[in-house]
Amino acid sequence: MKLSFRITGRRLLYLLAGVGLLGLLVAWSGLVNIGASAGHWRVTAWALHAVMQNSVRTYALFEPPPPADLDSPAHIRRAAGHFETACAFCHGSPSHPAPILATVMTPVPPALDGAASKWTPRQLARIVRHGVKYTGMPAWIAPERDDEVWAMVAFLRALPDMSADDYRRLAFGDDHAENRPLRNNPLESCARCHGLDGNSAGGAFPVIGGQSEAYLRATLDAYAKGLRPSGFMQFAANAVPASELQRLAAYYASRPGLGRHSEPDDSDGSRIAFHGIPASDVPACESCHGDSARRRDTYPVLAGQDAGYIAARLRLMKEGTAPLPAARVMHTIASRLPEEAIEAVAEFYSRQRPAADRRDP
Amino acid sequence: MRGSRPGFRAFPRTAGLAGAGMMLGACSGTQSALDPAGREAGEVATLFWVMLVGAAVIWLAVIGTAVFASRWQGRPVSERAGLRLVLWGGAIVPTLVLAALLAYGLRLMPALRAGEPALTVEVTGEQYWWRVSYRGPDGAAIESGNELRLPAGHAAEILLTSADVIHSFWIPSLAGKLDMIPGRTNRLVLHPERIGTYRGVCAEFCGRSHTFMAFTVIVMEPAAFEAWLARQAAPAATAADEGAFLANGCGGCHSVRGTPATGTIGPDLTHLADRAMLGAGLFANTPENLRRFVAEAEEVKPGSRMPSFGMLPPQDLDAITAYLGSLR
Repeated sequence: MKLSFRITGRRLLYLLAGVGLLGLLVAWSGLVNIGASAGHWRVTAWALHAVMQNSVRTYALFEPPPPADLDSPAHIRRAAGHFETACAFCHGSPSHPAPILATVMTPVPPALDGAASKWTPRQLARIVRHGVKYTGMPAWIAPERDDEVWAMVAFLRALPDMSADDYRRLAFGDDHAENRPLRNNPLESCARCHGLDGNSAGGAFPVIGGQSEAYLRATLDAYAKGLRPSGFMQFAANAVPASELQRLAAYYASRPGLGRHSEPDDSDGSRIAFHGIPASDVPACESCHGDSARRRDTYPVLAGQDAGYIAARLRLMKEGTAPLPAARVMHTIASRLPEEAIEAVAEFYSRQRPAADRRDP
Repeated sequence: MRGSRPGFRAFPRTAGLAGAGMMLGACSGTQSALDPAGREAGEVATLFWVMLVGAAVIWLAVIGTAVFASRWQGRPVSERAGLRLVLWGGAIVPTLVLAALLAYGLRLMPALRAGEPALTVEVTGEQYWWRVSYRGPDGAAIESGNELRLPAGHAAEILLTSADVIHSFWIPSLAGKLDMIPGRTNRLVLHPERIGTYRGVCAEFCGRSHTFMAFTVIVMEPAAFEAWLARQAAPAATAADEGAFLANGCGGCHSVRGTPATGTIGPDLTHLADRAMLGAGLFANTPENLRRFVAEAEEVKPGSRMPSFGMLPPQDLDAITAYLGSLR
């Protein structure tokens, strides 16, 4: 017997419509099991994974090139605390390799000790910055913060060789281990990175000990309200009640750390700090940030601040990636600062810390 | 043209009257080269009128010749007469007229340079304002900005330069314009004669707020000028609180003599309340405008080098406004 069947345009159309209708019917019926417990068919898992890998490789081409000092210890340290609070919960860590909740997710979040060998830095940056759809992997809260994305990439690259002890020291900080009473205190989270004295931990963090209380309060408030972009700090400040933020600001303001005033010397940085660069319309930093008892208290103290932090902030302000209201004034001023001036003035202020307060690890 | 539509004939008359009205309107006032208030502007105006009358005579002669040739002269002139006309009308007479005008114009120039000035003022053009520096009787500099005061009847030497791009210094009521060139000092001598308030402008496109780069010129009685200069040399006399002004960093760019504010980037504000205008001729000097300029400098004056301080709490803006408004 021979069945003859001719494919015509009209029949093809009917067929497509029928298949579409069947699809809608299946979706409507609710028979599709979207339970995470059901997992994926192998072919689905393979297809989704292949699409994801190709997408990351392609879109990584649009990521900026990594900084020259990508793998510096300060970068690694900077992202460690955030990794512990925001990432290790699903991906595990050297200190806690197999979080149980992750085992019942679909797809199961991979342990990240192999990530650095699988992906290039720019591919990692792509994943960290933009997340991955349909997997539960979120995007970076402040995607414009290249510096934070690269810090996280640096941390991921260091992760495979990290012992559990190393990890704990980086992610929980030195103060944390011996300060059990801090448990369930918001300060515990702060101290993981900033320590109990708010020091810079070798250039990984800004010095916040001794900072102006009004400035710290305004900054935490801006993080909490999403006015100051930071994947680390918006996440940290997000769930903390305003009254608690005030208490934290008062606490760190009361710690030793930043100096009360700066001592002029004959360096270029000192000249910029005390006299500005009049030829380029750059006013003296000290006119707002100086040691006047009458200085506006929401303007931050700079004496003794970490050089890398000052330089990074000035660069962000120069770019305009710091939309705080007061940062607009600084955007206007920073855009007149050449790179050498940024480095000189950052270096000058970092030297202004009273020796007794210095407590770098 | 004859016998054309009446409406068409009426139009030029109306337009001509309106145009003449507008032009006459520009003939007097605080910024007019045709209403001179100083010797140099007077010479420029005279030169202009001489040129205008000369041009009118020549124009009438040329048009008259054309009308004569086309209406009344029936037959063609001989080739010899034609050549003579071209030689005299096209070469000899224009050369004589232009030479005479050149000699007359050149004769005016030494007067612009001459004189042993009683007063020297340095004026520096900056985007988009004027740094004005007087020399006191003891030779010390007295800083001001966006306002130039001169004694009537005395020669004043203005030394012009620029801090950034080329500007041009022009007080139409007092003199012709002179460029301000970075790295070079141009000298202009003014002999203001008529007491009054005039307007000076930047006459060379210098950037986004070029049009907002003007200044006030006040020609005063010599005795009043001396008294004013002595007051100007003194520190600010104010009872208002300078706290907000200093705490918010205004002193990083501005000076108020007698206070810790010693910035030299922006205009000296020591006697700001004495000035008629704000922001280099942008606004009248009222408290509302002062507050607005502090809060929105970058918005109201595009390209302004001063950041907007609108983020300050209202009470700080009020305190700064009150303080600046008290600086006499």
